[in-house]
Amino acid sequence: MVNPGYRHFKGEDWVDPTPPPASLPHVDEIGSTSAPLKSASFHIGSVCKEYNEDFMLCKNESRDPSHCLQEGRKVTRCAISVLDKIEKECLEEFRAHWQCLDAKNQELGKCRGPEKTYNACVFKAFGWTKNIPGAPTNKPQIHERTPLTQ
Amino acid sequence: MPVPFESFVPFGVMTAMFLATATGIRFAQTKRNEGKAVRYSLDDWERKMMARDHQLTGTMRGQVDDVIAPPQFKVNSSWKVYESLRNDFA
Repeated sequence: MVNPGYRHFKGEDWVDPTPPPASLPHVDEIGSTSAPLKSASFHIGSVCKEYNEDFMLCKNESRDPSHCLQEGRKVTRCAISVLDKIEKECLEEFRAHWQCLDAKNQELGKCRGPEKTYNACVFKAFGWTKNIPGAPTNKPQIHERTPLTQ
Repeated sequence: MPVPFESFVPFGVMTAMFLATATGIRFAQTKRNEGKAVRYSLDDWERKMMARDHQLTGTMRGQVDDVIAPPQFKVNSSWKVYESLRNDFA
């Protein structure tokens, strides 16, 4: 972790003098950056669907940060559990996929090769499939399309 | 009739200038992005995710895949202090 600060008073030493009240339950924060999260996004979305929908409906009622703290904690914990499972079973395929994404402007369409092995590994370990919500059902999904000329 | 080789020298100079510009731009972009390709078509979501990456790893293009963030991530206040630091979308 690197934070801005001064040379005589580094940002690492700056601790928030007004932390959240101790009555709130503790929740860990996700430590992944954007590429691993994008790679795991569809699996997090399918496994944590109820918690995410709860949170979005709650936010719809009111944008006040204190209104949705409990739903937010559930979302974070669910996402952490999904990431934890993926990293325990499929670490190499996961890393290959997000490193490919990192090199290609994080566009999923440019990394279908590593994605195939990654989805196969996740399906074998947990039975999760990648499903794009709202996709038309009469054709194969975009990540499962095969070229016409083979 | 012999080829007028002196007239090709300015063309060579122009080509060399193009190559020098291209090399300089590629060097600057590679240095800025730690050897990775430049990110393009960034919207607000992507810029804010890159700012979060900057907070977790120290650079805008650094990536880590830890499950749980270091405890300083939650209690650090330096990013609350200056609005300009938080919106550092270079």
